[in-house]
Amino acid sequence: MVEAVKLSRHNLFNTHIIPVNFKYFAPKTLNEALELLDKYGKEAKILAGGTDLLVKMKMRLVEPKYIINIKGIRELNFIKDEGNQVRIGALTRWRQLEKSELIKNFFPSLYDAVKVMGGTQIRNMATVGGNLCNASPAADSAPPLMVLNAKLVLASKKGEREIPITQFFKGPGKTVMEPDELLKEITIPKPEEGSGSAFIKVARTSMDLAKISAATALKVEDRKIVMVRIAIGSAAPTPVRTPKTEEALIGQPFRPSIIREKVKLVVNEISPIDDVRSTAFYRKEVSKIIVEDALLISYERASRR
Amino acid sequence: MTESEHLFIGKRTIRKDAIPKVTGTMKFSSDYYIPGMLVGRIYKSPYAFADVRHIDTSEAERMGAVVITPDDVPSKLFNPRLVSVFEVTYKDYQVLTKHPRYLGDAIAAVAAPTEEKAQRALEALRVEFDNIRKPILDPFEAMSPNAPQIHDRILKGDERIDVKNNVGCVLEYSEGDVDKALKNADLVVERRFKTNRRYHMQLEPKTALCIPHSDGSITIYSTTQTIHNTRILIGQIFDIPLSKINVVKVPIGGSFGSSIQINPVVPITVALCLKARKPVKITLTREEDIYDHVAYQMHFKIRAGVTKDGRLVAGELENIMDIGAHQIQAYPLLGTALGWFVSLYKWRNIRYVGKAVYTNKVPTCAFRGYGAPQVSWAVETVIDEIAEKLGMDPVDFRLMNYVGKGDVFWGQGPTVKSIIRSDGVPELMERGKKLIGWHRRRLPSEKTGRYRRGIGVGRSFHTSGAGGPISGEVIDYTGSILKVNEDGTIDYITALQDHGGGTLDAHVKIIAEELGVPPDLINLVWSDTQTTLYDVCTHASRGTYVGGGAAVQAAKQLKEKIFNYAIRVLEKAVSPDALRLGYDKELKQAVVYVVDNPNMKITLKDLATLAWQRNWGTIATTVTYRSKAAPPSFTVYFVEVEVDTYTGKVRPVKVIGGADVGTVINPDFAAGQLHGGFAQGWGMTVLEDTPYLENGELMNRGFITDYKIVTAQDMPKLEDFQVIFAHTYEPTGPHGAKGLGEAALNSVAGAVANAIYNAIGVRFYELPITPEKVLEALKRREGGE
Repeated sequence: MVEAVKLSRHNLFNTHIIPVNFKYFAPKTLNEALELLDKYGKEAKILAGGTDLLVKMKMRLVEPKYIINIKGIRELNFIKDEGNQVRIGALTRWRQLEKSELIKNFFPSLYDAVKVMGGTQIRNMATVGGNLCNASPAADSAPPLMVLNAKLVLASKKGEREIPITQFFKGPGKTVMEPDELLKEITIPKPEEGSGSAFIKVARTSMDLAKISAATALKVEDRKIVMVRIAIGSAAPTPVRTPKTEEALIGQPFRPSIIREKVKLVVNEISPIDDVRSTAFYRKEVSKIIVEDALLISYERASRR
Repeated sequence: MTESEHLFIGKRTIRKDAIPKVTGTMKFSSDYYIPGMLVGRIYKSPYAFADVRHIDTSEAERMGAVVITPDDVPSKLFNPRLVSVFEVTYKDYQVLTKHPRYLGDAIAAVAAPTEEKAQRALEALRVEFDNIRKPILDPFEAMSPNAPQIHDRILKGDERIDVKNNVGCVLEYSEGDVDKALKNADLVVERRFKTNRRYHMQLEPKTALCIPHSDGSITIYSTTQTIHNTRILIGQIFDIPLSKINVVKVPIGGSFGSSIQINPVVPITVALCLKARKPVKITLTREEDIYDHVAYQMHFKIRAGVTKDGRLVAGELENIMDIGAHQIQAYPLLGTALGWFVSLYKWRNIRYVGKAVYTNKVPTCAFRGYGAPQVSWAVETVIDEIAEKLGMDPVDFRLMNYVGKGDVFWGQGPTVKSIIRSDGVPELMERGKKLIGWHRRRLPSEKTGRYRRGIGVGRSFHTSGAGGPISGEVIDYTGSILKVNEDGTIDYITALQDHGGGTLDAHVKIIAEELGVPPDLINLVWSDTQTTLYDVCTHASRGTYVGGGAAVQAAKQLKEKIFNYAIRVLEKAVSPDALRLGYDKELKQAVVYVVDNPNMKITLKDLATLAWQRNWGTIATTVTYRSKAAPPSFTVYFVEVEVDTYTGKVRPVKVIGGADVGTVINPDFAAGQLHGGFAQGWGMTVLEDTPYLENGELMNRGFITDYKIVTAQDMPKLEDFQVIFAHTYEPTGPHGAKGLGEAALNSVAGAVANAIYNAIGVRFYELPITPEKVLEALKRREGGE
């Protein structure tokens, strides 16, 4: 028998409104935004598309004192072809990625992810930077960007730094970004000649968060695997690369039986859990399957190019 | 009458609410704003099983909010659903409770000028709890001798009853000698089943708006399937004469059964309004709505006996229903679950035990099909297994044993019986087999490879309403008013609610057919309780059949009155018998003419104008109507699925949805019911559930992020989904029609589950059949278990 005075989160939830008091800023330039972050960063949240943040605020999971809405910063919304690499502004909406021939032609794994992220309404609002900074283990953009060797440019008042995306995530909802930093852009090197990539997501319905997802990039020369990268989502506290499996595949002949044998190793490189969406058992079993499937698609795509 | 003889029935038309809905101009309860209105919020119990010791409202009141606690509202027990007669109505609800029995039970409420102020006031309430207990989440645990009592005393009608072992109500039944029949049977199959706890996910979260008037009366706008029962219940709870309560019929954003009962938000809103003496509106958030109602979860045990030549000889059903914290219609459901069971197949000897068990979970209520999807899934699984064991074709075995034309039919339980007079099952089976390619069906053992396809059949039915020649435990009658306006157009007034399926458009067509007045000249009046006759509720797939029956009767009476006026101007006719009413295709309106003298005529328009100008009076009629039967609408689904044996994912490849609804009034709406029914049934079979954490909280915490329903993209392509209607005519129905809404869902889960079995050779006895369960089962089999 216990006594308690309790409000419970059920009485705190109110999705009709945003039941949080905050001060609101809408900077028009990157510099203004960085100034604000410098001042309020620790107690501020960046609002971009809002498709994750506003939900979290309605759920009272975050109650920021300051909201910095960066939606109006035009200079952060672009997709640029720079010859050997493509730069994507952090505020680029998923719908823009979906409509981009560059993305479709050069980064098919990212394009696969774009097609299955949310519905059209969400893709019209959500930004690629927001998807990464939200740092969900299920972020659809993460596995493809990881196998595409993307780099992230983080900006603050003090300057800029560039890090590989593989070093970006720290845990669910956590990244290496300092409170005064803002994700400015994503750079993706154009894939090497003769390589291909793919992304597969398994979810409860066709519009859902991933139960498990995987991206692969692959290059085969003289029937041997000369380059392979594998990333898995929703199977660990962060999206992860699986270096040991990749190592085991390098130099192997590209034969279905060999692939099937070697991808079994991915299970050792993930740490899935049971939750409301799926089970650890299922995630482990299916991780092998979708990595294998993605490798086969990557191979097909490579040979088509 | 054949289809071609109909003027309007069976023709494709645009529904009357199509443009307001598509353009977003239609107003639902939550869209109403009244000047001076307060917004209400409900304090929901954070504990699944506890007692409230003290509520401190001072801070909230200092903020200017109106606050109600259990001490401010009537404490009487009630049942929010008034469809059953008094004697079998179990009452355990209170407007607000000091004894929360599930996480979400309403304890207090506040009202303030804005949503934000109301939210702040809610957060300022200080509630102290006592006696916080571990919630009971399993019905079998709840029934164990040492389990704490969730309810001690409840009411059955006006009689106080003690709840024992958390069993809220019981129904037992037997016919013949089951033990003997099972002993003599050549084959006995015994199986246990567990169904899922599905949330309705209707588009509109529950809303109530209550407006007080200076004469002491109130007006209510709410999400409801029954405006009259809303009025009666509010009258009963608050001791207000019904003449002082008006409930307005507002478009409802779907319900799937979740507003048969008066939703808890309604009496709470009324209580706040009565205290505040100001209009008050409460709209639940989606998250609150998920904690408001859920489908009945059933644990079955079935024993079935059959002779080796395929004749069923015995059927036994044990039905343990996990009803959650409160009773809504658990008792009548114990009866209908039995009704579904005995009316599916000729068991010949029957035994049934049904128990409704309290747990500390979200209260359960009717969900499209009212137990028939659950019972049919289990029975159709058993029937499939028996056919397989006997080496018989599953379709042939069903045709041999099903309850069809000429048989006694129960449907809504032992007190609603009738003889089946229309039956399209043989036709649907025959056509369905051809269309799905039944001859392609192979044994599961013959299938190899990663992707395996299977074909399955599922059969079921639903009643059309709950009427009958004898007054039983269920109230079922309706009312209809028709009036010819001064220009010959018609106002049609009924309390019967349209859930969004187009029921009232069907009535309009039925009236149009009877009178020859084109549907676009018939006005569907958005009415209220003070200007309509009683209608029990739009439930039990009774909208078209019962409401349409009333419409036919009203139209017939109206016709007589029209003739009595027409005879004054159509000289040659000496008696109304000489007159006919019909649609004039050239004039595009209704015309009264003398039989065999089509040129001696007057348009209804001219007649109505004349009646007005010459002071003859209004041509109008009123009908109160109870149908004399509740005939079954049969449905048969043939489904082809593909199972990815590597991921456990199941995909619908091809669907043949067959329905016997008698005369089809609106072909597109009817087909839409089958498409929607299949989608909902698919979700039931492979996807939906609301699991709990140990503390009595939903794992999804109310968020639909983690309560998925299927989308259009998860369904087969339109060209792979074929709808067929049987060519039947129901003699008791309006123009031969029967109901459809629920039948369209009832047979889906059985068909899908049987198709999954046919693909991979594994039977599942627990819903939903998720990819996780499929994969685990396949791995177990691989492992040699």
